Amino acid sequence: MSSDYEGNGMASRLLMTLQVVVPPPRKLGAVPHGTRVIAAITSGTFEGPRLRGKVLPGGSDWTLLRPDGVLELDLRITLETDDGALIYMTSFGLRHGPPEVLAALARGESVDPSKYYFRTTPRFETSAPQYAFLNRLIAISSGDRRATGPIYTVEEIL
Amino acid sequence: MDFRRRDVLEVVAASVVAGAASTLPGCAHGAGADHRLPIAYERGTAMNSRPLMTVRITAAPSQKLGAVPHGIRSIVPVTGGDFEGPRLRGAVLPGGGDWLLVRSDGVLELDLRITLETDDHALIYMTFQGLRHGPPDVIAALGRGEVVDPASYYFRTLPRFETSTETYAFLNRMITVGVGQARPDGAIHEIYEIL
Repeated sequence: MSSDYEGNGMASRLLMTLQVVVPPPRKLGAVPHGTRVIAAITSGTFEGPRLRGKVLPGGSDWTLLRPDGVLELDLRITLETDDGALIYMTSFGLRHGPPEVLAALARGESVDPSKYYFRTTPRFETSAPQYAFLNRLIAISSGDRRATGPIYTVEEIL
Repeated sequence: MDFRRRDVLEVVAASVVAGAASTLPGCAHGAGADHRLPIAYERGTAMNSRPLMTVRITAAPSQKLGAVPHGIRSIVPVTGGDFEGPRLRGAVLPGGGDWLLVRSDGVLELDLRITLETDDHALIYMTFQGLRHGPPDVIAALGRGEVVDPASYYFRTLPRFETSTETYAFLNRMITVGVGQARPDGAIHEIYEIL
């Protein structure tokens, strides 16, 4: 079966960068699956070769710190493009890294994102014909946690 | 930062927007062009991947449930298979399945749940959601059970794993992408770890 590795390979290209603004999150504490923290997303912007616009208020990231130290992210937001289309975006992701790096992030410090693992899997829904390609693609994002909220580099899997 | 990403040239954009095939020759490991992000985002966000494993799934004929509220549902029982990669190998256990839905826009959604057993007897729960679509004639050929060049359609998945075995705990912590090939008796998924 090893010859299968030489098959298609995997390619990606930039879909957009997305920056969201997150005020101090709500810490719900220990729940049955881990430690729950809910981060409201109040605004943001996104820009890429084929779409750009703003993040509408009302979304959140429902994060769960698992017992194995991995943070699970579960984001739901609404994007509005500069031509008025609405896009529903969800994203499941994982974040983990060395304890001292995670501690620095928790203190709101700026940390080189290559020092930790922060990857998500965005999905999109839209009824706007000009953005229907979003309904049909698999995407991966790389996150960079900043004090005001994360910046995601979203890549389309080709 | 590292720019060994497998980005492809912008010239492919038109075919992807059109929903056509998009797995291009020359996109294998390390062959992509450099793709600089805007300066503001240039800090350490390059994306790399490496092969995790190839999963070969055999399936029984699908159970065709027909039109349901979200589309056309069919359920494919998984009867077995195998998987192999640099860090793990073993068998796909019977008993899982793929709950397929053809949406109103013609895209096939996949929703798979299977159990893997490694050659050292660890159990791994694997799920994925995925999408499959392509030109009508290609999809029709797949529907007839023909073997079709996987570069002629889009078949991508997002596998996730759960295991309690320390040896394979790395699977609990990674994001992965699968590149699928439909076969008459199942499917082959090349799974890549996103680094």
